[in-house]
Amino acid sequence: MEIIDKKYYWWNKWTGFALLILLVVATPLFTILFKLFTSPGGSWSHIANNLLFGYFQNTLLILLGVAFSTFVLGVTTAWLVSSYEFPGRKYFEWLLILPLGFPGYIMAYTYVGLLDYTGPIQTFLRNSFGIQIKGSLIDIMNLPGAIFILSITLFPYVFLIARSSFLQQSKTMQEASSLLGANRAKTFFKVALPMARPAIVAGIALASMEVLNDYGTVKYFGVNTFTTGIFRAWFSMGDATTAIYLAAILMVFVFALLYLESIQRGNRQYSSVNGLNKPQARKEVSTKSKFLYTGICTMLFLISFFIPFLQLLQWVFMTYEKVVNQEFFLLIFRSFGLAALVGVLVVFFSIILLYALRLSPFKWVKSITKIATLGYAIPGAVIAVGVMIPLLSFDKWIYDTILSSRVAGLFLSGTLFALTFAYIVRFMAVGYNPVESGFQKIGIHVNEASRLLGIRSSKTLWKIDLPLIKSSLFSGILLVFVDVLKELPLTLILRPFNYQTLATKAFDMATNEMIAESANAALIIILTGIIPIIFLNRMIKKREI
Amino acid sequence: MPILSLQHINKKYGQAKDFAVNDISFNVTEGEILALVGESGSGKTTLLRLIAGLEHPDQGSISLSGQVIVEGKKTVPAHARKVGMVFQDYALFPHLTILENVMFGIQKSKGNRAQIAKETLQLVGLNEDFNKYPHQLSGGQQQRVALARAIAPNPRILLMDEPFSNLDAMLKDQVREEIRQIIKKTGITAIFVTHDTKDALSTADRVAILHKGFLQQIDIPKVLYENPINPYVANFFGKRNEILATPSEDGFYTSFGFIADVEAKNYKAAVKLLFRPEHGEVVQRKGQQLSGKIVKVSYFGSHQLVKISDDEGFRVTIRTNPGRVFDESERAFFYLWKYDIEEAF
Repeated sequence: MEIIDKKYYWWNKWTGFALLILLVVATPLFTILFKLFTSPGGSWSHIANNLLFGYFQNTLLILLGVAFSTFVLGVTTAWLVSSYEFPGRKYFEWLLILPLGFPGYIMAYTYVGLLDYTGPIQTFLRNSFGIQIKGSLIDIMNLPGAIFILSITLFPYVFLIARSSFLQQSKTMQEASSLLGANRAKTFFKVALPMARPAIVAGIALASMEVLNDYGTVKYFGVNTFTTGIFRAWFSMGDATTAIYLAAILMVFVFALLYLESIQRGNRQYSSVNGLNKPQARKEVSTKSKFLYTGICTMLFLISFFIPFLQLLQWVFMTYEKVVNQEFFLLIFRSFGLAALVGVLVVFFSIILLYALRLSPFKWVKSITKIATLGYAIPGAVIAVGVMIPLLSFDKWIYDTILSSRVAGLFLSGTLFALTFAYIVRFMAVGYNPVESGFQKIGIHVNEASRLLGIRSSKTLWKIDLPLIKSSLFSGILLVFVDVLKELPLTLILRPFNYQTLATKAFDMATNEMIAESANAALIIILTGIIPIIFLNRMIKKREI
Repeated sequence: MPILSLQHINKKYGQAKDFAVNDISFNVTEGEILALVGESGSGKTTLLRLIAGLEHPDQGSISLSGQVIVEGKKTVPAHARKVGMVFQDYALFPHLTILENVMFGIQKSKGNRAQIAKETLQLVGLNEDFNKYPHQLSGGQQQRVALARAIAPNPRILLMDEPFSNLDAMLKDQVREEIRQIIKKTGITAIFVTHDTKDALSTADRVAILHKGFLQQIDIPKVLYENPINPYVANFFGKRNEILATPSEDGFYTSFGFIADVEAKNYKAAVKLLFRPEHGEVVQRKGQQLSGKIVKVSYFGSHQLVKISDDEGFRVTIRTNPGRVFDESERAFFYLWKYDIEEAF
């Protein structure tokens, strides 16, 4: 009789690896949540009495303002490009996504420069018409200004999701509506909009997460929010526990938002996934309407991308000789290297998590792997704090026990390790989702077929699964790469002393009155950011066919 | 000795209330083709996946070639079971050529892998360029590749999940016969899952009928058809007619007339006479036969079904050859040459 080793059916090494990854990735999040139940730091009473209300008020106002204006801008343009035929429609479909490549903080100081006394608008008015304005043309360095900047960079989230939802709505549904006597406007308000609601709210939720994550814009404009509060407690007051406490409150905000989003969605699946449903035909409209629609889209594109982009280009031409030197190339090289490393690591961990899930006979594995992707909803500053605390205590433990505290310094905290770790926690979801959909697309049968042919699970992963999801792996790495490159608040907190990335360099220069010089780094971030946007658009278009 | 033996297998999925597979035991002998038949949700595919090692049972044991491969919480993993499987969607590896697909499972120690793969592809009758990729083949050709890939490593048992469901009706009869011949030629033991009774009856040596996770009956097709163990199995192969009858010394009295039968004296109370449409015959002449009014004639090309009603409007269906001409509401005479007797109450 043949002897083959028998094993416990529920065990495979992938489950073990996955649990390990989960434990590590979830540590910062649980650290913060845990700290909520301990007492806050010494400056907490000062902050609670004098600043907390302001943080609340400003954060809430910006959230509401951005939610409202991204809704109006995103849904209007999405409806226009998905249901009417007008000149340039085909181009606006992707032009209106480009602002996503503009990090909020870069948009913020570009606009300040644009409207400034020495900026192109005032110079033009002065030189051509002799119009003199004292100070800035419009003062945007305030709360409404922050709402404006964040809205024009974040509305594409709503635009993208609403557009794909409108495209998925079946033609027959809208035809039925018009046969029942409803005109285009009524069809929009009574059929299309309610059906797209879950998607639109999800888009607004995404934009809101970005608002809570933002540090650069509000800091530059001098608006105090929770994020700036965390920075102030951490850097100015040196009070880590208060920073944690603020971070924990901010995290409660986020979970509330996630919860609201999930209950509004419920179990509803309005958009039919039936492949037979062709998207609705676009309607031809009168010449007057064509002008209007093209005009609306053009205006929005000019304001949200083209004009600030031109301004950046102009600054680059003015300053590149001074800025672009060997050191600058080194900076690019370092930023790209770090971003690529994080991209590869995130996708690598995602593969292990998802492969464990793929092979596991248990449903609970699915729910716990989701924990790994929670970081994307958590503001960067919160994650930074959450990473810092365990690493600091680890360092302390090392010095106390092994080095007997003779040398002062940092072992893990304040190193590239901490930064990389935090990036992975924050952007796990960005790489995880493409890998997950890749696995879903190829199905489980090819994997099972290979194992039944006598090939072990690890070799099957290498020979069958991975070659088949190559393009998903690539887009996962690319998406993480771009997000890391743009990341600011987390990097500012965790970067090693004197370590610069393109993002921190641009932000430092801008805050030090070197706006024009900062444009060089900014331009590189934006140009790299545009590549995956075009990818993303292709993916959505494919679903349309 | 059986090559595969299942003992008291139970399987429940997650939080589900009912067992997907319920205390199932059976043996499969070497070289036989067994069909697992049932509606969707009957547990037939689960059973196949349990044998393959893609699922683990909650209770029970499985042995293959005299080796226990599942017992309690322990299992021989799928890759070590030497089980071949043809998936419903074929699951060919799209990034590998046909030849590479078939070579994939052949071990290096077996000799020239490419040679074995080519021979297997010829055996399944695939006359194509072996360097093509799966997507360049038709559905039927892909299925042959999947079959070749599964049998090339010389598995101890071959499993097939709905092997005929993706073929159109025209191809089906031909493919059924071919696959049966290929399997018989290699002498491999095979189990396949189907929801189509025609597949099962025409291709398998033995058929197992499953219903809601329970094994109803497992036997050769003829026995299942002629001597079903319970009404579910009987009805699975098509509707049966039921006539109420009162027994007497020399026959049964029914609402369609009298049937002479010496068996009748063994029954005291009312009985049901059960028969399939093809177990009756419509005849020309009057005589000692049953009769009723024709209410509907349905033409099916190869045969026609005649619905005959008694005076109270109770109906039976009799199958006739397609050439006969009937007038509706004409009086028809028929007799039964085979029926089962069951006590009515």
